[in-house]
Amino acid sequence: MYLIAMSLNLQSILVPTAIGGGIALILGIILVVAARIFALPADEKLEEIRAALPGVNCGACGYSGCDAYAMALRDGEPNAAKCPVGGKETAMELAAILGLSPPSFIPQVAYVFCQGTTDHTSKRYDYQGITSCASAQGLFSGPNSCTFGCMGFGDCVAVCPYDAITISDGIAHINTERCKACGLCVAACPKELIQIIPRHYNAYTVSCRNKWPGAQTRKNCKVGCIGCSRCYKVCPSGAITMDGPLAVIDQNLCTHCNKCLEVCPTHAIQRGLFLGEGPDGKPMRSKKPDDPVSPTPAFGSPAGAN
Amino acid sequence: MKEMLIILFSAILVDNFVLSKFLGICPFLGVSKNLKTAMGMSMAVIFVMVLATAITWPVFYLLLAPYDLGYLQTVIFILVIAALVQLIETFLKKALPPLYQALGIYLPLITTNCAILGVAILNIDQAYGFGESMINSLGAGLGFMLALFLFSGVRSKVDHADVPRFFKGLPITLVSAALVSIAFFGFKGLIENLFS
Repeated sequence: MYLIAMSLNLQSILVPTAIGGGIALILGIILVVAARIFALPADEKLEEIRAALPGVNCGACGYSGCDAYAMALRDGEPNAAKCPVGGKETAMELAAILGLSPPSFIPQVAYVFCQGTTDHTSKRYDYQGITSCASAQGLFSGPNSCTFGCMGFGDCVAVCPYDAITISDGIAHINTERCKACGLCVAACPKELIQIIPRHYNAYTVSCRNKWPGAQTRKNCKVGCIGCSRCYKVCPSGAITMDGPLAVIDQNLCTHCNKCLEVCPTHAIQRGLFLGEGPDGKPMRSKKPDDPVSPTPAFGSPAGAN
Repeated sequence: MKEMLIILFSAILVDNFVLSKFLGICPFLGVSKNLKTAMGMSMAVIFVMVLATAITWPVFYLLLAPYDLGYLQTVIFILVIAALVQLIETFLKKALPPLYQALGIYLPLITTNCAILGVAILNIDQAYGFGESMINSLGAGLGFMLALFLFSGVRSKVDHADVPRFFKGLPITLVSAALVSIAFFGFKGLIENLFS
């Protein structure tokens, strides 16, 4: 009796297994054969283009990802220099694959337009919520005395795929050696403090984004732009415009003449990009006044031709 | 013939898959925002439903029923439908690129939807013959298309309506879906007298 029961049980397990497995096996074989028969010739050019792109899918080129940009290039997109992550090498490689003339490529970098470190600004209240800029922004625009300035909770640090951003003294600094200008931090900052600018190592920037009148700015931050428009008046090349009570330097027009830096009363104007922390633990800037005006002569056109 | 027509129309109107059986709600809400996506999705649904029935009915009656393996139908049906759609997709890509483009992403998306499995299993439950099953699947697909088209019209109206703030978006969409569903219940008494 026992043996019969065993064999029945065995059959009731084996038959479904055999049928299920058999169906799966046959379907698998059919699929493989079909894939062989109906295989499309792979687009070699597309794959070559795709391989030349870095594959970060950051979207900085304006397409939805590396695949989309590769497809656009294959279908006649004329600009092979849209990838800031791959930089010059990628642009050259793409141009070679596509048979385009070498594109003009201006290296770019992200820049934090704020110097409101803890010794320059104060706190309006003690924030104890989630350590995220987006969250703090929702609570009376954050705890800083300047509600336009960097809060230093590091939303940009969290999204940076290259570990290029550090928070020190309460504000974000971008390490220009690591930054690939992909623009993810630009989107992450709730204060819209980060922008992508041309990578001039002696760049002149009004490192401030506040829109308060001068008196209120002075009260809340020692290095804020007070809108005195002295730089605007002194600039010989018309690169500085006044956006209300805030001076803005157009990086493409700036000739790096140093005049605005000399007249700025609050030192809101800064020269040089952040290069990481120096030996004294303070942010080190690339202050090279004798830098060439355009640092990209070896490749492509000078600044301004975007 | 009359039987077939009754099956077809009751699948479209009375037993509408979306509005009275509540199967395939996800694509119903997801792609009813405009007519173009609704069209692509509906075509894919009709296509896959008819195909799925054409393969699952013989599989059930030739392989599963003789060995008394009805309890395996869910697993086997999913397997067979998924493989079949994959096969069709590879074929279409090569042979009929325009159709492949038209069905687009909706073809693989709809394959594992409950509406597809639902129509395959319901055909077996209702003990339909092969012809009846095919008609029923076609009706189910057409019913899905009708529901999607009607609802995309409703949604475009709702978009311009002054909806209370807390109802905006999905809540008002679900409320209007429920109202359309209630409207379809009106067909219940109609179908028996339609062909008499």
